[in-house]
Amino acid sequence: MKDILENIQSISEEFDLSLTNVSNTSEIMDLKVRFLGKKGKVTSLLRLLGSLPAEKRPAAGNAVNELRNTIESIIQEKTLALKNDELRQMELQDLIDVTLPAKSRPSGGFHPVVEATNDVLKIMTGLGFTVVLGPEIEEDYYNFEALNIPPHHPARDMQDTFYFDDGRVLRTHTSPVEVRSMLKYGAPIRIICPGRVYRKDSDPTHSPMFHQLEGLLIDEDISIADLKGCLDVLLDSFFNKELKKRYRASYFPFTEPSLELDIECIACSGSDPGCRICRGSGWLEICGLGMTHPNVLRSGNIDPEKYNGFAWGLGLDRLAMLKYGLNDLRTLFEGNVPYLLSGREA
Amino acid sequence: MLISWNWLNEFLTLPSDVTLQEVAEKLTITGCEVESIERPCDFLTGVITAKIARLDKHPARESLFVAELDLGVGDSRVVCVTAAPNLNVGDIVPYAPPGAVIIHNLALGSREFDGILSQGMMLSAEEIGLPDVADEFGILRLPESTEPGLDFKSLFGLDDAILEISITPNRGDLLSVLGLAREIHALFPNSELKNIEIEDIHNSVAWPVNFKGITLEHPDCLSFALGLASDIRIGPSPLKARILLSLMGMRPISNIVDVSNLTMLLTGQPSHAYDLELLPEKEITVRLAMDKEKIITLDGKTHSLTTEDLVITSGGQPVGIAGVMGGENTEIKDNTRIVALECANFASPRISRTSRKLGIISEAAYRYSRSVDPMKVIQSLKYALKLFSDWGCAKVVYGHYEFSESTRPGNLEVPLNSKTMKRILLWDDMVEAGHILSRLGIEKVREENGFWVFSVPTSRPDITIEEDLVEEVGRIRGYELVEPRIPDSLHERGKLDPISETQGHMRNIFLSRGYTEVVTYSFIAPSFSKDYLLSKNDIRSYPVKLSNPLSLELSCMRTMMLPGVISAVQGTIRSGWRQAVRIFEMGRVFLRLEPGSNQLQEIERLTGIVYGGSDQRSPYGKWEMEDFFSVKGDIVAIAQNRGVELTFKQGSEPFGHAGQSADIYSEEKKVGYLIRLKPGIEQNMDFGGPVYVFELDLDTFMATRLSTFKDIPAYPAVYRDISLLSEKSRLAEEVIREIRSIAGDLLWEIRIFDIYEGKNIPEGQRSLGFSLAYRSEDRTLTDIEVEKVHSKVRSGLEALGYKLR
Ligand SMILES: [Zn+2]
Repeated sequence: MKDILENIQSISEEFDLSLTNVSNTSEIMDLKVRFLGKKGKVTSLLRLLGSLPAEKRPAAGNAVNELRNTIESIIQEKTLALKNDELRQMELQDLIDVTLPAKSRPSGGFHPVVEATNDVLKIMTGLGFTVVLGPEIEEDYYNFEALNIPPHHPARDMQDTFYFDDGRVLRTHTSPVEVRSMLKYGAPIRIICPGRVYRKDSDPTHSPMFHQLEGLLIDEDISIADLKGCLDVLLDSFFNKELKKRYRASYFPFTEPSLELDIECIACSGSDPGCRICRGSGWLEICGLGMTHPNVLRSGNIDPEKYNGFAWGLGLDRLAMLKYGLNDLRTLFEGNVPYLLSGREA
Repeated sequence: MLISWNWLNEFLTLPSDVTLQEVAEKLTITGCEVESIERPCDFLTGVITAKIARLDKHPARESLFVAELDLGVGDSRVVCVTAAPNLNVGDIVPYAPPGAVIIHNLALGSREFDGILSQGMMLSAEEIGLPDVADEFGILRLPESTEPGLDFKSLFGLDDAILEISITPNRGDLLSVLGLAREIHALFPNSELKNIEIEDIHNSVAWPVNFKGITLEHPDCLSFALGLASDIRIGPSPLKARILLSLMGMRPISNIVDVSNLTMLLTGQPSHAYDLELLPEKEITVRLAMDKEKIITLDGKTHSLTTEDLVITSGGQPVGIAGVMGGENTEIKDNTRIVALECANFASPRISRTSRKLGIISEAAYRYSRSVDPMKVIQSLKYALKLFSDWGCAKVVYGHYEFSESTRPGNLEVPLNSKTMKRILLWDDMVEAGHILSRLGIEKVREENGFWVFSVPTSRPDITIEEDLVEEVGRIRGYELVEPRIPDSLHERGKLDPISETQGHMRNIFLSRGYTEVVTYSFIAPSFSKDYLLSKNDIRSYPVKLSNPLSLELSCMRTMMLPGVISAVQGTIRSGWRQAVRIFEMGRVFLRLEPGSNQLQEIERLTGIVYGGSDQRSPYGKWEMEDFFSVKGDIVAIAQNRGVELTFKQGSEPFGHAGQSADIYSEEKKVGYLIRLKPGIEQNMDFGGPVYVFELDLDTFMATRLSTFKDIPAYPAVYRDISLLSEKSRLAEEVIREIRSIAGDLLWEIRIFDIYEGKNIPEGQRSLGFSLAYRSEDRTLTDIEVEKVHSKVRSGLEALGYKLR
């Protein structure tokens, strides 16, 4: 009996020692045969049990079985671990460098002016304005006369116009859409109109083509307060910030009273006398606006005794430039990809 | 326009606590934007007046003089060396002692000239920063009456501040010192306005010539006054006048011209001086020009007039274009003895038209175009004649005017109702409104039917209706007092128009497929139709052209989007970009309905361009290369996203590669193209590889189709492959159509998985491999069923002459 227990002890120790030398699945198979095989050491112990007295057999049998179970489960565990290890080694032969560049086209870049336009359309349709569009090649009548700008009026000097031989013009503002829409839809009316406009002008702050957003609201009893309310929403939402604003008196033939809206300088908020964006004034001119002139309502076949309203013309390029910190308006229309991609969200 | 702050203050008393800065801010916010405030002679410090007590030639240096200066402090003298040749003993000059600062912030010291120490220097006009005020070469000589030892800067108004103000076209009245003084008075309730009164001089004296009178033949000359000055001595104006003109941006010319300019700056009234003896007859007639009537203006240019232009004539000959510019024939010269000075008033539209047509934007024309107060004619004429007299440049000034008027100017009455004001400003304090208007010179004359009736002076022709009065009240009261609100009127849902909606959706798809969005000019160069080989019967070769383009390159309205995006790619390459370029643009093309027609269509387009780049190397080899089919993939994707089915047919665009162009159709209508550029064009434009372009009518994608979803198929598909040989010229789509028609309803999907030509394939043929999926919607297909239909496909194809592999 004592022999058997000693044997169990020494086999167990031998197994532990052998196990530490096992490094692959075939070695563990060998180990299994050596201990648990038909001629294995544990199996031979079982045979020895027969030589023990009957009363000692159960205890000795339990001890040997326990040893066999332990060794069996250790071998199973080890086999699994070694197999996983070998699979992993095989996978690692297909190791890739995950830092290599992505394989597909990189994302494109939006155009700041189109992006700004879409933002503003979203804000203003949410407020209840409906989008309409109008022609870019426009009748002199709609661009000027219907807007209370008779021929040879000095206000025409404010806008250097591109003409066609047949007397038509490239619209100098989006305002012609006002009268066109009034004639089409009548009052009340709540519209906005984005689009390209053209003036004969070219320097870093002027491009012969740029973008405006016209707004027009005609109803009964409309006040400058309503106009301010709408523009406040537009600008604060666009810049996602409550901006300081300054409503300044101005002159446009098609509005009476006429105003201009300045917003606080996006770059310096008026704190930098040398600021390049606001030239130290702290203010940025952003929008022309006013109460629609009775003559314009008449052009639109709307009774100025019953209805009144307001209109604005907002510079979308200016808005985009301010939001995205751009300096040269003309660069925006060169279609230069590196320039446009530099604004891509990383 | 430039305005002297000192001069303004001669006609205006502001409360003492009001600063120039406040005035500028108030002007800006009420409609006259003050763009800058300059102090042109700010640098000047320590300069005093000095009298030349003694003047000698320099003992050693021939070209120099040594002056001893009396600085008004007893007998002490300072020595000053100068090279100026124009000085005499007794002259008064500006003197900068050591420590004084002159132009360019130069601080003066003492300097030795061959043994004589010069303390500081005497100054020329340039050295005080106003080169234009010089009337001779050398040191600036001050009026004889000037005391020595006084502060030069303040004495001559060089401490002035100059406001640069931009005046809106409706406010002609503000193009004058008096007009602006009135405006500022309105802005500051506690200010006081001082009016100028000019008394008549020698009212009884008759003209020395027998003048026959002024005839106004056209009502656009509202009034015309002539004053007379004889014994003219032409010379420089007094120094102070020259300085004032110079500060206000006008070059001093001579006393006669300067009087005219100063008068205009003060009152806004232009004037013109004729040499009376050169007038063909001693009479003036204002009439419309005859057709092609010629006149040579003061600037030496000959103009041919039309019956639209108003001219000043004498003895039948034009002597001036009314309100625009005088004629050369009656110009004032050095020997002029008698001057007839015109102050007249002309209707704005006519002057504006003539001035624009002839391209003469004179100071006079600029003001008349914006309207000049007809009440200023006599006052201005008197002021000008008084200056002649005060300056002593005309020996006699006659207070007898020749005057004629066609329209007697009168104030306009404009009513204001508190309801209108309340509607617009949400404020209706009529009393306060009345105060504001009164400060502007607009007085209440009576109340009538709930209206207050105001009398608007002739200086404000811009005010004609009630809203104009509301604006005056609103702007001076301040728009910041109107609390913003959201209009009740906005109680309905706003909508995007279908074009913006479609564009907004499509651009997101293109951005995510790696395209960069551009906006290019709507104008292109006329060479485009040649560059892109457009034929004579292609409507795109008939663009509408601007009659006044910025340049030839920007003179045609685009009829196709291609040129804009091509130049965008070229610009991108020029800026050093070597990778692939993918660009898209959405915008309009402008097409005539037919070649000769002026009827135009503005058509919304979407265009894209793809260029592989000059460096196409990639660790992934060809996988990333752009080709016709990668770009086609983008078009198909956009069509799928918009629920539109497009078909591609062999293309016909003249600028497309003959073998690699597709015309794109939707429902049997051509809606665009996808091409590789013709290799010849690629070469001409220096592209190092293929360029793919497409252009599509946005219209095609505008119908909003709601996606409809189907259940997952209940029964599995069974897959079979077919490989066959086909003529290379046979389109894959035709083969597919044939397979479909043979297979019938059980064929659920067919896909090309292989295209092969070359080894083992006969010349002119290619091998196509198709994967066919058979499926039924109501049962699982049995092998037998599939086998049956598939062999029908095989035999059917063979019957059509295809060789199966
Ligand atoms: Zn700033």
